[in-house]
Amino acid sequence: MEEKKITEAQSLEIITEMIARSNVRRQLGNGNIMLLWGYLSVAVAILVWSLLMCTHNVMWNWLWFLIWIIGGTATPIMARKQRAADGIKTYVDNISNGIWSTVGYMAIASTLICLAFLLFAGKDVWGMMIVFAMLGVGFAEAIQGIVIKEKPMIFGGWVGILAGLILMASLFGNIALQINWVIPLFITAFVCMMIIPGHILNAKARNEK
Amino acid sequence: MKELDPLLHSQLRLAVMSILMNVDEADFSYLKEKTESTSGNLSVQLDKLATAGYIYIEKGFAGKKPRTTCRVTETGRHAFAQYVDALKTYLNL
Repeated sequence: MEEKKITEAQSLEIITEMIARSNVRRQLGNGNIMLLWGYLSVAVAILVWSLLMCTHNVMWNWLWFLIWIIGGTATPIMARKQRAADGIKTYVDNISNGIWSTVGYMAIASTLICLAFLLFAGKDVWGMMIVFAMLGVGFAEAIQGIVIKEKPMIFGGWVGILAGLILMASLFGNIALQINWVIPLFITAFVCMMIIPGHILNAKARNEK
Repeated sequence: MKELDPLLHSQLRLAVMSILMNVDEADFSYLKEKTESTSGNLSVQLDKLATAGYIYIEKGFAGKKPRTTCRVTETGRHAFAQYVDALKTYLNL
Protein backbone atom coordinates (compact mmCIF):
# COMPACT_ATOMS: atom_id res chain seq x y z
CA MET A 1 0.00 0.00 0.00
CA GLU A 2 1.33 3.41 -0.93
CA GLU A 3 0.60 7.06 -0.23
CA LYS A 4 -1.46 7.94 -3.29
CA LYS A 5 -4.64 9.79 -4.13
CA ILE A 6 -7.78 7.71 -4.31
CA THR A 7 -11.35 7.99 -5.51
CA GLU A 8 -14.31 8.23 -3.10
CA ALA A 9 -15.38 4.68 -3.92
CA GLN A 10 -11.85 3.41 -3.21
CA SER A 11 -11.95 5.23 0.15
CA LEU A 12 -15.01 3.28 1.13
CA GLU A 13 -13.36 0.02 0.03
CA ILE A 14 -10.25 0.76 2.11
CA ILE A 15 -12.28 1.56 5.22
CA THR A 16 -14.35 -1.64 4.86
CA GLU A 17 -11.29 -3.77 4.11
CA MET A 18 -9.25 -2.46 7.06
CA ILE A 19 -12.13 -2.88 9.51
CA ALA A 20 -12.53 -6.49 8.32
CA ARG A 21 -8.79 -7.18 8.64
CA SER A 22 -8.60 -5.85 12.19
CA ASN A 23 -11.79 -7.63 13.33
CA VAL A 24 -10.13 -10.81 14.54
CA ARG A 25 -10.99 -12.99 17.51
CA ARG A 26 -8.03 -13.16 19.81
CA GLN A 27 -8.62 -15.40 22.78
CA LEU A 28 -5.68 -17.81 22.89
CA GLY A 29 -3.88 -15.77 25.55
CA ASN A 30 -6.99 -15.41 27.67
CA GLY A 31 -7.33 -19.20 27.65
CA ASN A 32 -3.78 -19.64 28.89
CA ILE A 33 -4.22 -17.22 31.78
CA MET A 34 -7.45 -18.96 32.78
CA LEU A 35 -5.67 -22.31 32.72
CA LEU A 36 -2.90 -20.92 34.92
CA TRP A 37 -5.40 -19.76 37.58
CA GLY A 38 -7.52 -22.89 37.25
CA TYR A 39 -4.74 -25.46 37.62
CA LEU A 40 -3.00 -23.35 40.28
CA SER A 41 -6.15 -23.03 42.40
CA VAL A 42 -6.98 -26.73 42.09
CA ALA A 43 -3.38 -27.79 42.87
CA VAL A 44 -3.18 -25.57 45.96
CA ALA A 45 -6.63 -26.71 47.13
CA ILE A 46 -5.59 -30.39 46.86
CA LEU A 47 -2.29 -29.63 48.65
CA VAL A 48 -4.02 -27.79 51.53
CA TRP A 49 -6.72 -30.45 51.76
CA SER A 50 -4.16 -33.27 51.94
CA LEU A 51 -2.03 -31.50 54.55
CA LEU A 52 -5.06 -30.61 56.70
CA MET A 53 -6.31 -34.21 56.57
CA CYS A 54 -2.89 -35.63 57.44
CA THR A 55 -1.76 -33.20 60.14
CA HIS A 56 -4.95 -31.45 61.40
CA ASN A 57 -2.80 -28.31 61.65
CA VAL A 58 -4.80 -25.23 60.53
CA MET A 59 -1.57 -23.31 59.85
CA TRP A 60 -1.49 -25.04 56.44
CA ASN A 61 -4.34 -22.73 55.45
CA TRP A 62 -1.72 -20.00 54.92
CA LEU A 63 -0.73 -21.95 51.79
CA TRP A 64 -3.87 -20.56 50.10
CA PHE A 65 -1.82 -17.40 49.58
CA LEU A 66 0.28 -19.31 47.05
CA ILE A 67 -2.61 -18.80 44.60
CA TRP A 68 -2.40 -15.01 44.83
CA ILE A 69 1.41 -14.89 44.94
CA ILE A 70 2.04 -17.18 41.94
CA GLY A 71 -1.03 -16.11 39.92
CA GLY A 72 -0.57 -12.41 40.68
CA THR A 73 3.07 -12.52 39.59
CA ALA A 74 2.64 -14.62 36.45
CA THR A 75 -0.53 -12.99 35.07
CA PRO A 76 0.88 -9.51 34.22
CA ILE A 77 3.91 -11.13 32.55
CA MET A 78 1.71 -13.46 30.46
CA ALA A 79 -0.70 -10.64 29.57
CA ARG A 80 2.16 -8.33 28.49
CA LYS A 81 3.69 -11.05 26.29
CA GLN A 82 0.31 -11.77 24.74
CA ARG A 83 -0.34 -8.11 23.94
CA ALA A 84 3.12 -7.75 22.37
CA ALA A 85 2.49 -10.88 20.27
CA ASP A 86 -0.96 -9.67 19.14
CA GLY A 87 0.19 -6.15 18.30
CA ILE A 88 -3.16 -4.63 19.23
CA LYS A 89 -5.33 -3.85 22.20
CA THR A 90 -9.07 -3.78 21.58
CA TYR A 91 -11.93 -2.23 23.55
CA VAL A 92 -12.90 -5.75 24.67
CA ASP A 93 -9.37 -6.12 26.11
CA ASN A 94 -9.94 -2.90 28.07
CA ILE A 95 -13.20 -4.23 29.53
CA SER A 96 -11.56 -7.55 30.45
CA ASN A 97 -8.61 -5.79 32.09
CA GLY A 98 -11.02 -3.60 34.05
CA ILE A 99 -13.10 -6.57 35.24
CA TRP A 100 -10.10 -8.64 36.39
CA SER A 101 -8.26 -5.67 37.91
CA THR A 102 -11.37 -5.00 40.01
CA VAL A 103 -11.42 -8.66 41.11
CA GLY A 104 -7.72 -8.39 42.01
CA TYR A 105 -8.28 -5.25 44.12
CA MET A 106 -11.31 -6.91 45.78
CA ALA A 107 -9.07 -9.87 46.69
CA ILE A 108 -6.47 -7.56 48.24
CA ALA A 109 -9.17 -5.65 50.18
CA SER A 110 -10.77 -8.92 51.39
CA THR A 111 -7.39 -10.25 52.56
CA LEU A 112 -6.64 -7.05 54.48
CA ILE A 113 -10.09 -7.07 56.11
CA CYS A 114 -9.67 -10.73 57.18
CA LEU A 115 -6.20 -9.98 58.57
CA ALA A 116 -7.53 -6.94 60.45
CA PHE A 117 -10.34 -9.01 62.01
CA LEU A 118 -7.81 -11.65 63.06
CA LEU A 119 -5.22 -9.23 64.46
CA PHE A 120 -7.44 -6.63 66.12
CA ALA A 121 -10.56 -8.60 67.08
CA GLY A 122 -9.19 -12.15 67.27
CA LYS A 123 -11.96 -13.27 64.91
CA ASP A 124 -11.36 -15.86 62.18
CA VAL A 125 -13.35 -14.65 59.17
CA TRP A 126 -11.26 -16.37 56.48
CA GLY A 127 -14.40 -18.15 55.28
CA MET A 128 -15.22 -14.86 53.57
CA MET A 129 -12.21 -15.33 51.27
CA ILE A 130 -13.47 -18.61 49.92
CA VAL A 131 -16.91 -17.06 49.34
CA PHE A 132 -15.24 -14.20 47.50
CA ALA A 133 -13.07 -16.60 45.47
CA MET A 134 -16.16 -18.27 44.07
CA LEU A 135 -18.73 -15.46 44.02
CA GLY A 136 -16.40 -12.65 42.90
CA VAL A 137 -14.42 -14.70 40.38
CA GLY A 138 -17.57 -16.42 39.13
CA PHE A 139 -19.34 -13.10 38.57
CA ALA A 140 -16.33 -11.66 36.71
CA GLU A 141 -16.08 -14.82 34.63
CA ALA A 142 -19.77 -14.71 33.66
CA ILE A 143 -19.53 -11.01 32.72
CA GLN A 144 -16.47 -11.64 30.57
CA GLY A 145 -18.25 -14.57 28.94
CA ILE A 146 -21.18 -12.28 28.10
CA VAL A 147 -18.82 -9.62 26.66
CA ILE A 148 -16.92 -12.03 24.38
CA LYS A 149 -20.00 -14.22 23.77
CA GLU A 150 -18.53 -17.45 25.16
CA LYS A 151 -21.13 -19.78 26.66
CA PRO A 152 -18.65 -22.06 28.51
CA MET A 153 -17.42 -19.00 30.44
CA ILE A 154 -20.96 -17.87 31.25
CA PHE A 155 -21.84 -21.39 32.43
CA GLY A 156 -18.58 -21.75 34.42
CA GLY A 157 -19.15 -18.33 35.98
CA TRP A 158 -22.61 -19.38 37.09
CA VAL A 159 -21.22 -22.53 38.73
CA GLY A 160 -18.90 -20.26 40.73
CA ILE A 161 -21.72 -17.85 41.60
CA LEU A 162 -23.97 -20.68 42.83
CA ALA A 163 -21.14 -22.24 44.86
CA GLY A 164 -20.40 -18.82 46.40
CA LEU A 165 -24.07 -18.27 47.26
CA ILE A 166 -24.28 -21.72 48.92
CA LEU A 167 -21.23 -20.87 51.03
CA MET A 168 -22.60 -17.45 51.94
CA ALA A 169 -25.93 -18.98 52.97
CA SER A 170 -24.02 -21.50 55.10
CA LEU A 171 -22.08 -18.72 56.83
CA PHE A 172 -25.28 -16.76 57.54
CA GLY A 173 -26.98 -19.97 58.74
CA ASN A 174 -24.10 -20.73 61.11
CA ILE A 175 -23.34 -23.95 59.24
CA ALA A 176 -19.67 -24.81 59.70
CA LEU A 177 -17.57 -24.68 56.53
CA GLN A 178 -16.02 -28.14 56.75
CA ILE A 179 -13.10 -28.93 54.49
CA ASN A 180 -14.61 -32.25 53.41
CA TRP A 181 -17.29 -30.43 51.38
CA VAL A 182 -15.93 -26.90 50.96
CA ILE A 183 -12.69 -27.92 49.21
CA PRO A 184 -14.38 -30.33 46.76
CA LEU A 185 -16.88 -27.53 46.00
CA PHE A 186 -13.98 -25.10 45.48
CA ILE A 187 -12.22 -27.56 43.14
CA THR A 188 -15.41 -28.23 41.15
CA ALA A 189 -16.08 -24.50 40.82
CA PHE A 190 -12.56 -23.74 39.55
CA VAL A 191 -12.60 -26.66 37.10
CA CYS A 192 -15.88 -25.30 35.67
CA MET A 193 -14.87 -21.62 35.84
CA MET A 194 -11.29 -21.76 34.57
CA ILE A 195 -10.03 -25.12 33.35
CA ILE A 196 -12.86 -26.25 31.05
CA PRO A 197 -13.48 -22.80 29.42
CA GLY A 198 -9.69 -22.22 29.16
CA HIS A 199 -9.20 -25.42 27.16
CA ILE A 200 -12.26 -24.67 25.00
CA LEU A 201 -10.97 -21.16 24.20
CA ASN A 202 -7.52 -22.48 23.30
CA ALA A 203 -9.01 -25.20 21.09
CA LYS A 204 -11.16 -22.62 19.29
CA ALA A 205 -8.18 -20.31 18.82
CA ARG A 206 -6.10 -23.18 17.41
CA ASN A 207 -8.87 -24.08 14.95
CA GLU A 208 -9.15 -20.46 13.78
CA LYS A 209 -5.42 -20.24 12.95
CA MET B 1 -20.72 19.36 -1.06
CA LYS B 2 -18.31 18.93 1.89
CA GLU B 3 -14.61 18.83 1.08
CA LEU B 4 -12.78 15.58 1.87
CA ASP B 5 -9.97 16.03 4.42
CA PRO B 6 -6.81 15.83 2.24
CA LEU B 7 -4.84 14.31 5.11
CA LEU B 8 -7.22 11.34 5.27
CA HIS B 9 -7.93 11.12 1.56
CA SER B 10 -4.81 9.06 0.91
CA GLN B 11 -4.61 5.29 0.65
CA LEU B 12 -2.20 4.46 3.46
CA ARG B 13 -3.21 7.16 5.94
CA LEU B 14 -6.89 6.26 5.53
CA ALA B 15 -6.06 2.56 6.03
CA VAL B 16 -4.15 3.31 9.24
CA MET B 17 -6.95 5.50 10.59
CA SER B 18 -9.59 2.86 9.72
CA ILE B 19 -7.68 0.25 11.73
CA LEU B 20 -7.05 2.57 14.66
CA MET B 21 -10.74 3.54 14.77
CA ASN B 22 -11.55 -0.16 15.20
CA VAL B 23 -9.10 -0.96 18.03
CA ASP B 24 -7.89 0.80 21.15
CA GLU B 25 -4.23 0.71 20.14
CA ALA B 26 -2.06 -1.03 17.55
CA ASP B 27 1.69 -1.38 17.22
CA PHE B 28 3.84 -0.56 14.20
CA SER B 29 4.32 -4.20 13.11
CA TYR B 30 0.58 -4.87 13.24
CA LEU B 31 -0.19 -1.77 11.11
CA LYS B 32 2.58 -2.69 8.65
CA GLU B 33 1.20 -6.22 8.26
CA LYS B 34 -2.44 -5.21 7.89
CA THR B 35 -1.79 -2.33 5.48
CA GLU B 36 0.85 -4.30 3.53
CA SER B 37 3.08 -1.23 3.47
CA THR B 38 6.84 -0.67 3.77
CA SER B 39 8.36 0.44 7.09
CA GLY B 40 9.70 3.68 5.61
CA ASN B 41 6.42 4.74 4.02
CA LEU B 42 4.35 3.77 7.04
CA SER B 43 6.68 5.67 9.34
CA VAL B 44 6.38 8.85 7.23
CA GLN B 45 2.56 8.62 7.10
CA LEU B 46 2.28 7.98 10.84
CA ASP B 47 4.37 11.07 11.50
CA LYS B 48 2.04 13.14 9.28
CA LEU B 49 -1.01 11.88 11.19
CA ALA B 50 0.69 12.53 14.51
CA THR B 51 1.74 16.05 13.48
CA ALA B 52 -1.91 16.79 12.59
CA GLY B 53 -2.90 15.53 16.05
CA TYR B 54 -4.96 12.67 14.60
CA ILE B 55 -2.98 9.92 16.32
CA TYR B 56 -0.78 9.60 19.37
CA ILE B 57 2.47 7.67 18.97
CA GLU B 58 4.15 6.10 21.99
CA LYS B 59 7.61 4.60 21.76
CA GLY B 60 8.43 2.00 24.38
CA PHE B 61 9.81 -1.48 24.84
CA ALA B 62 8.30 -4.97 24.87
CA GLY B 63 10.94 -6.81 26.84
CA LYS B 64 14.20 -5.75 25.17
CA LYS B 65 12.63 -5.01 21.77
CA PRO B 66 11.55 -1.46 20.89
CA ARG B 67 7.80 -1.15 20.34
CA THR B 68 5.91 1.75 18.77
CA THR B 69 2.21 1.90 19.58
CA CYS B 70 -0.36 4.17 17.98
CA ARG B 71 -3.80 5.21 19.10
CA VAL B 72 -6.31 7.61 17.60
CA THR B 73 -6.93 10.91 19.44
CA GLU B 74 -10.25 12.67 19.92
CA THR B 75 -9.24 15.10 17.12
CA GLY B 76 -8.55 12.12 14.86
CA ARG B 77 -11.80 10.45 15.78
CA HIS B 78 -13.73 13.65 14.98
CA ALA B 79 -11.83 14.14 11.67
CA PHE B 80 -12.53 10.54 10.64
CA ALA B 81 -16.25 10.90 11.42
CA GLN B 82 -16.39 14.10 9.34
CA TYR B 83 -14.51 12.38 6.52
CA VAL B 84 -17.03 9.53 6.48
CA ASP B 85 -19.91 12.05 6.49
CA ALA B 86 -18.37 13.88 3.54
CA LEU B 87 -17.78 10.57 1.76
CA LYS B 88 -21.47 9.73 2.09
CA THR B 89 -22.45 12.92 0.26
CA TYR B 90 -20.04 12.14 -2.59
CA LEU B 91 -21.37 8.59 -2.92
CA ASN B 92 -25.01 9.58 -2.36
CA LEU B 93 -25.34 7.19 0.56
